[in-house]
Amino acid sequence: MKVGTSSLSYTNGRLNFQRIGQLAHTLSAVRNKNIDVILVSSGAIGVGAGRLGMIEKPTDLAKKQALAAIGQAELIKIYQKFFEEYNQTVAQVLLTKDVITNPDRHNKAKNTLLKLLNMGVIPIINENDTISTDEIEYGDNDTLSADVATLICSDLLILLSDIDGLYSADPKKETSAEIIRTVEKITPELIRSASGAGTSFGTGGMATKLAAAKICVEANIDTIITSGNNPSIVFDILEGKEIGTHFVANNKVLQKN
Amino acid sequence: MKQNRIVVRIEISTLSDADGKFNHQKMDRLAMVISNLNNSGKELILVSSGAIALGSDKLKLKKQPQSHTEMQAIAAIGQAELIRFYQHYFNQYNQIVAQVLLTSDILDNTIRVKNTQNTFNTLLEMNIIPIVNENDTVSTTDIELDDNYSLARSVATITNADMILIKMDQNSKFMIQPRGNLNAKLVMDETQLFDELEKTCMEINGSENSMVSFPLSIDDIIVNS
Repeated sequence: MKVGTSSLSYTNGRLNFQRIGQLAHTLSAVRNKNIDVILVSSGAIGVGAGRLGMIEKPTDLAKKQALAAIGQAELIKIYQKFFEEYNQTVAQVLLTKDVITNPDRHNKAKNTLLKLLNMGVIPIINENDTISTDEIEYGDNDTLSADVATLICSDLLILLSDIDGLYSADPKKETSAEIIRTVEKITPELIRSASGAGTSFGTGGMATKLAAAKICVEANIDTIITSGNNPSIVFDILEGKEIGTHFVANNKVLQKN
Repeated sequence: MKQNRIVVRIEISTLSDADGKFNHQKMDRLAMVISNLNNSGKELILVSSGAIALGSDKLKLKKQPQSHTEMQAIAAIGQAELIRFYQHYFNQYNQIVAQVLLTSDILDNTIRVKNTQNTFNTLLEMNIIPIVNENDTVSTTDIELDDNYSLARSVATITNADMILIKMDQNSKFMIQPRGNLNAKLVMDETQLFDELEKTCMEINGSENSMVSFPLSIDDIIVNS
């Protein structure tokens, strides 16, 4: 499951502890059902800025990387605190893009993650911003989360967003916009029409989420985009309720047709 | 030679009791000394091991993990603990810290070196103490093989800093090796270690009078000297 900055914080940029508490509660409960859980979480830069009492997030790369180094330490501390409430051990895993491109690193990361899951631990993953050659190495955690889902052959990727799914048009602009419940094929047109609609606080938008969904469905992983307003929505998803937008794994589409 | 930027490499054994149990009091002392040095105008970078030890602690493992994969997994758990403890103790002295996880091949990629350099410079300018460790989870080399020795060297190179090595010899005596004046001092116990650390950092600029001369091995002649 991937959570973005917008799901973890208020619109003023400060952390929403209630939300983080719900997240820890939900994921710990899911973990207790013997379901392997990995959390991909953004938020380091925002938390770092908050720690230093900065009002606005910086734009230059060195500052952002420095804030990420401060904020990641804070972020993992906060997660540890909330997960501890449910007696759930977490681990911190910071990745860079070469986890996908470097076969040796790929194997190491995969083995580590599988080992952690096997131990009942919830790995909390973020991009290792401090050494990423550029923010665009991943840039957004949507793609990172898709790569992680693929790396460990997961069954499901849940992308929590500030919008409850993919719409036929930008719902902020057009009242006729309707949520699309099921997507069986991610076409270039779909990606094009979704670009632009997104959050102002996170780095991703609907476009990067669609790209992430595309990576996953092609690897036969179901993907769901839904709102991060209430993390316990994950319980409904696992019960098979119709939540958000469901991008159906390719092998399932083939079986159906 | 005026040098105000110092890499302090600390082994987890320095912060533990003889039986291997992590000692909070020692970390508190270290945080106080390092924060104080930072207040005095030095720029400090801490290179600290301990992820595996604290991960094992957290999981209440009876013995150290054996397989590479297991060690990497435990390091991922323990690093979160390690940085949380550091934050806690540095917070007592109103000192903000940052976590920087590097892989040992950091020097191979020039763009990455540049970025990491910028990050360190920015953090130090902001009066923040970076706490560096190897990113064991994705490390392709043997974990903590040399207990961050080469990592500390790389960090000193990247940041163009002086380096202080803290080692424990077979007799559990600590050794401080400041680079630059090629002096080192043997210290008896942790209390003295932290006192010496403070003193040595203060004196690294000039006066060698109080330092006991101690020849460094080839291995200890560090990059920037």
